[in-house]
Amino acid sequence: MSDQTKSWLETRLPLASSMQSCIWNMKMAVEKPYLAALGSLITATLIFLTLSGFVLSLFYVAAPGAAFDSIQFISRNVDNGWLVRSFHATGATMLFAATYLVVFRTLLTGGYRAPNELTWILKLVFLGLVLIIGYFGYAMADGAVSYWSLHETTVAGARLTSFPGAISNWVFGGPAGPGTLGRVAVLHSALALLGFGVLALHLAAKRAVAPVPTKTVTLHPYYTSHHFVAFAVFALIFAVLVFFAPHWGENQLNLAAANPLVVPAVLTPPWYLLPVSAFAAASSSPLGSIFLVLAGFAVLFAAPWLDQSKGTKPGLFYKILVAVLALDVFGLCMAQADGPSMLSSILSTIFIGWYFLHFLVLSPLATAMESKK
Amino acid sequence: MKFGISAAALLAASLAFSNAAKAEDTLSPLHWQSQGNFGSYDKAALQRGFLVYQTVCASCHSANALHYRDLTALGFSPDQVAAIASNVKLADGSQASMDDNFKNPFPDSQVAAKAFGGAIPPDLSTLVAAHPRGTQYIYSLLTGYQAAPSDVNVMANHYYNVAYPGNQIAMPAPLKDDMVTYADGTKATTAQEASDVAAFLTWASHPNLDARKQIGLRAVIFLIFLSVLAIANKRKIWSGVV
Amino acid sequence: MANTATHTASDEVEAPAKRDFLKILTVSAGAVALGATAWPLIDAMNPTVSELAVAKPIVNVGGIAPNTALRIMWLGQPIYIRKLTPQQIADNQFIVPDTLPDPASYTDRVKPGYETFVVVVGLNTGISCELLGNSPSDARGPFDGWSCPCDGSIYDPLGRVRSGPARKNLAIPRFTFLNDTQIQFG
Repeated sequence: MSDQTKSWLETRLPLASSMQSCIWNMKMAVEKPYLAALGSLITATLIFLTLSGFVLSLFYVAAPGAAFDSIQFISRNVDNGWLVRSFHATGATMLFAATYLVVFRTLLTGGYRAPNELTWILKLVFLGLVLIIGYFGYAMADGAVSYWSLHETTVAGARLTSFPGAISNWVFGGPAGPGTLGRVAVLHSALALLGFGVLALHLAAKRAVAPVPTKTVTLHPYYTSHHFVAFAVFALIFAVLVFFAPHWGENQLNLAAANPLVVPAVLTPPWYLLPVSAFAAASSSPLGSIFLVLAGFAVLFAAPWLDQSKGTKPGLFYKILVAVLALDVFGLCMAQADGPSMLSSILSTIFIGWYFLHFLVLSPLATAMESKK
Repeated sequence: MKFGISAAALLAASLAFSNAAKAEDTLSPLHWQSQGNFGSYDKAALQRGFLVYQTVCASCHSANALHYRDLTALGFSPDQVAAIASNVKLADGSQASMDDNFKNPFPDSQVAAKAFGGAIPPDLSTLVAAHPRGTQYIYSLLTGYQAAPSDVNVMANHYYNVAYPGNQIAMPAPLKDDMVTYADGTKATTAQEASDVAAFLTWASHPNLDARKQIGLRAVIFLIFLSVLAIANKRKIWSGVV
Repeated sequence: MANTATHTASDEVEAPAKRDFLKILTVSAGAVALGATAWPLIDAMNPTVSELAVAKPIVNVGGIAPNTALRIMWLGQPIYIRKLTPQQIADNQFIVPDTLPDPASYTDRVKPGYETFVVVVGLNTGISCELLGNSPSDARGPFDGWSCPCDGSIYDPLGRVRSGPARKNLAIPRFTFLNDTQIQFG
């Protein structure tokens, strides 16, 4: 592009200068840890998942049986199809890892406290959204495990009455029928686009309440080089998973074709759905499962108002409690991973009990105590 | 003199090495070349395994995800693959072509269930992938047939197998010594056949394993390099700020 | 901010060449990584081997007897591959194209070197109807070619329309002779 064209374009559409003033020269606080790049990483991963998902959608057939075959076709016959599929599956793992890490870090640092309530709520909305998208993606695999998971979900959903039942029918079109996978596939991609909206809202809300930094640097070259490090390390972890553990965290049984006549012994979902499935599995009735999952989310949403600190920084005791909570959720997932048993149901009850205890009792007490000092 | 000795030693060593490579003992201790982060397929074993598959397994099991053209990855020439395909008679009596899927021995699963008293032979395309320690499992299963202990009542049309969950399997022992004649002169013991067909079925489940590990090694090395660069660049830029 | 400015300035004074080199190296390595990631996504959009096998089938024409035609389906349409007899060639070779409803010469209708084969889409160009005449016992019309059972249009063995409501010659699909006995479509 010659200088003349540049100025012609620039006078009519001042992209370069507005980029310069709005983005590159943006004032940023100096002390930001690498984990502050997680937001950018999540956005980039979602873009990456959208692109790889678009390529997969060119070959995916949303029909029972044919769906599994079409994924086999992608892995075996499409040029680099195995890589694209692995990109998408591992991309989901990275997105969830980053999202869970953000939620954990926000709890640990008290980042949900006023005036950050809305950014915290938007983080949770994003988490809920990607959990739904992740479940739909898992169901789309149409493997021996996810077939049955979708089947049980839709059958249980169709038996619900009134509003929950209506939602289930709108989403799934009744108990797993020929059209269910098609609906799931469309919602999987539509909700992913909604995810970008939530991310944009979150960014705007975060900017609005960010404290004015005392010492600043410009975004470029300081934070571009800073985030580039985070991106490179993130990509490195991603590549190790894609090439040396492509099915990490997945249920291996799901790599076999679904058999409508054989229910697998263990219906374990991929790792990122384990917390939700553990909450759901703690009740034997569908309504109870829905209630537990919603309650698990509700205490997260309520965290800013359950918190009793008056503007103080979180103390050591509170931080230890949050670390224990992370171990508690991890233990809950582990108890769930090997399928139902007496021991796992007892452990799950204890872990879920601790989860609610943490948010409703321990965390308010700890923050009240620490703010008195 | 010294040169002569070392040359002779080198020659002897290389001969010994080539012999070792030719008749590599994969059975004691049991291992497959594709295992590990850097392992790749042993094409000779895959070709032997395909022979066992085609002679023995294919008469009852389908492998729907595979095409005959995929066999070129085993080191067969396109002409050899075309010959393999043309030896297969499809259900309508015509010869299979390169672009056909592996022949399904039964028109549908109901017919298969009827033929085997309800126990449908599973599709073999993803069997290794879908089973924990899949390659080893196939080998153990195929060599795990034994006489049932006296306190076990084996059901009708079932066979005692130590590797199978529940120990009672509907598939009779499929392999025995010298069931096939290997073109490369390897002795066709039951264990050798089981090892080879386990290697072949591993390939059937993971046809991209070699490419995945090769690209992966390069990608990881490059990204380590990129990370180091990025850190150096960042430190340089930030050097005076904090 | 003042800090920033001074430090940037001092950096440039210290080692401008080294810093630029590091920056260029980092940015280009990043671009390589991005390109290498994007490539599989783009490459995967190419037609697959299976799709090419359907889109570009190879047909064996060695077994077609003179005076008969092989009918295959390609991309949902019937394709007729007809082997001409010397008599049919002699009858049609020297007809002046301008006397025909849709002028076309013998050489326009066949491939050079393989002049005994006529390959056409077997659909009438008037009312769309599959033509009769692949076997000698079919109703072929007065020119020993094809006839349409729906509107009575008559074609000669080269697929040129001779009479009837149809005004256009039969369409010729895209194909090449790989050798004397094999045709590849597409």
